[in-house]
Amino acid sequence: MNQRSAVYLDLLGILLAIVAALVIGILVIFLVSDEPVAALQALLIEPFTTLFSFGSILNRMIPLVFTGLAIVVVFQSGVFSMGAEGQLYIGALTGALAAVYLPEMSPWVHIPLVILAALIGGALYGFLPGLLKAYFKADEIVSTLMFNFIATLFVSYLLNYVFKAPDSGGFARLPFIQESARLGPIFDGFPTHAGFLLALLAALAVYLLLYKTKTGYELRTVGKNPLFAEYGGIKPKKVLILSIVISGALAGLGGTVEVIGLHGTLKDNFSAGLGFDGIIVSLLARNHPIAVLLSAFFYAYLQVGGQIMQANSDVPRDLAIIIQALLVIFVSSQAIFAYLKQRKLMSSRGGERVAK
Amino acid sequence: MLSSLWEQTINLTLFVILLRMMPPILLGALGGLMTDRAGVINIGIEGLMLVSAFTSIAAGSATGSWIIGIAAGVLAAMVVSYAMAFFSLKMNVDIIVTGFAVNIFGAGITVLMMSILYDSHGNYVPEHPVSIPNIVIPFLDQIPFIGKLLSGHNLMVWISILAVVFCYFLLYHTPYGTHLRATGEEPSAARSLGISVVRIQYSALVWSGFFAGLAGSYLSMGMTSMFVRDMTAGTGFLALAVVIFGNRNPFGILAGSAVFALATAMTMIIETTPGNVIPSQFIKMVPYIVTIVALVVYAIRKHRKTLFT
Repeated sequence: MNQRSAVYLDLLGILLAIVAALVIGILVIFLVSDEPVAALQALLIEPFTTLFSFGSILNRMIPLVFTGLAIVVVFQSGVFSMGAEGQLYIGALTGALAAVYLPEMSPWVHIPLVILAALIGGALYGFLPGLLKAYFKADEIVSTLMFNFIATLFVSYLLNYVFKAPDSGGFARLPFIQESARLGPIFDGFPTHAGFLLALLAALAVYLLLYKTKTGYELRTVGKNPLFAEYGGIKPKKVLILSIVISGALAGLGGTVEVIGLHGTLKDNFSAGLGFDGIIVSLLARNHPIAVLLSAFFYAYLQVGGQIMQANSDVPRDLAIIIQALLVIFVSSQAIFAYLKQRKLMSSRGGERVAK
Repeated sequence: MLSSLWEQTINLTLFVILLRMMPPILLGALGGLMTDRAGVINIGIEGLMLVSAFTSIAAGSATGSWIIGIAAGVLAAMVVSYAMAFFSLKMNVDIIVTGFAVNIFGAGITVLMMSILYDSHGNYVPEHPVSIPNIVIPFLDQIPFIGKLLSGHNLMVWISILAVVFCYFLLYHTPYGTHLRATGEEPSAARSLGISVVRIQYSALVWSGFFAGLAGSYLSMGMTSMFVRDMTAGTGFLALAVVIFGNRNPFGILAGSAVFALATAMTMIIETTPGNVIPSQFIKMVPYIVTIVALVVYAIRKHRKTLFT
């Protein structure tokens, strides 16, 4: 079977998975709701009906693109890092500090400096578990989960005790960022901020990195077959650390873009799981950087739809969360894809069974 | 401040809080242990616990019986963990992804059910709450020190400690346990010896549902008398850390859970102490840092021969 038809089959399988998850969701709505039609309309159609709700889908999508890309890079390199959440916090911290405390300057200098600070913060926080994995073989799943807790607590400490804005009361936050560090709307009157463009750029950059450079080839080779990669002269330790550092930088940038685009300050516990959402986004995109844009959009659409549904009908938004969980499972059910491919193979060879 | 902490250590308040905090971590970790030793690490403990926490308080308060509550919660968690096993072992979904999906699912389904059944998004406090009883030992509870040490703890505290012993015997003194450990160590070797690897891994995941189920029912019917959305708040992940921290051994896990519960208990005492100078974030951080250190030490011991070459 040629590569192109394999891609089509994959797409078909993903579409089937999405349809199956949505159908189950719709069935549940009919089961629990007294006004299922209104609920469905709110969930599926209303997000597209006003400029405001469409703009908020795009706003929601921005951090998901960044954390999704962060996961793409590690998963493609065969590293099971769950650390995007922590890296996002540290990146948001370093970026926010640069946005608040750097002396006054032009936005054309200030914003790049803030971005740089975010990239460095996130990258360093990815470097730690990478180092532990590369040199001590410390399991990255557990270590990154622990680093997530430490990052959240550390940022919470700094916000409550060191950098707390005097007027912030019970909800600790930094002082507001300077105007010169703020990402404005893409164009006047539209709610989506310029972080959207950064997200598009990041997706393109990750695509070029993974598929058009030698480093990207090394990352993917280690991810597919570490022994072969080592035999071919690729240093697995270097690749491992590099992948998680790049991933951390992306997640960190995602955190800072939330700060300078959406909130205007760094708040305690502002993320609530964006790093984990990135895992879903990446899985739905089959770990492909360009497809992350689509899956992040779809994910954000479900979230906004869920909120509108909760406001306008008797179905809570948590239904959307269940659809997301089903999506993850269905899209990852490789047995289904293997079955589809098998059938395709069989039919292309006149129905006889083929080995492999 | 230190003197107040010292006082509460001496009069055993710290110990009592520690025991109250320990069962969810300990039971969750035992669930994690069974899967970890069978080579199918379950990161969905958090979601399983939530499912059980909600089911047990719903069933318990509807029937007025905490026993039915526990049974329903444990059963629900076992059903979900069986579904996990189906998707990961039959449909070839990566086990990490499956566990991850269960965590999302648990958070979603519990709040969905809560708003359908009780019309609330945040929490559910039953009108006639039922709780897992505290065990007061007659006569013993009259003795000043020993009374507070041994009497008046929740039944689930004792069940969780018994569960440690149970897991130890199951893993190290039964043929099933040997097969389970062999499956985790080297599945291909286990298979060549005629062990049904898939069946063992199925059972390990269902065991994790059983223990996570017990932990969940204690969260909503023992530690509190309510269900709050996302009330596990990371306990399931902590449990995974405890598995590593306890060196993948039931008694090690008991010690590890005690350390984590101690950190929680100290945070509570220090936060409520007037004149407190230590930020609570730092005390909360300690178990996580210790876990990372334990992870590194464990990995060095395991890979001593191949490391640094």
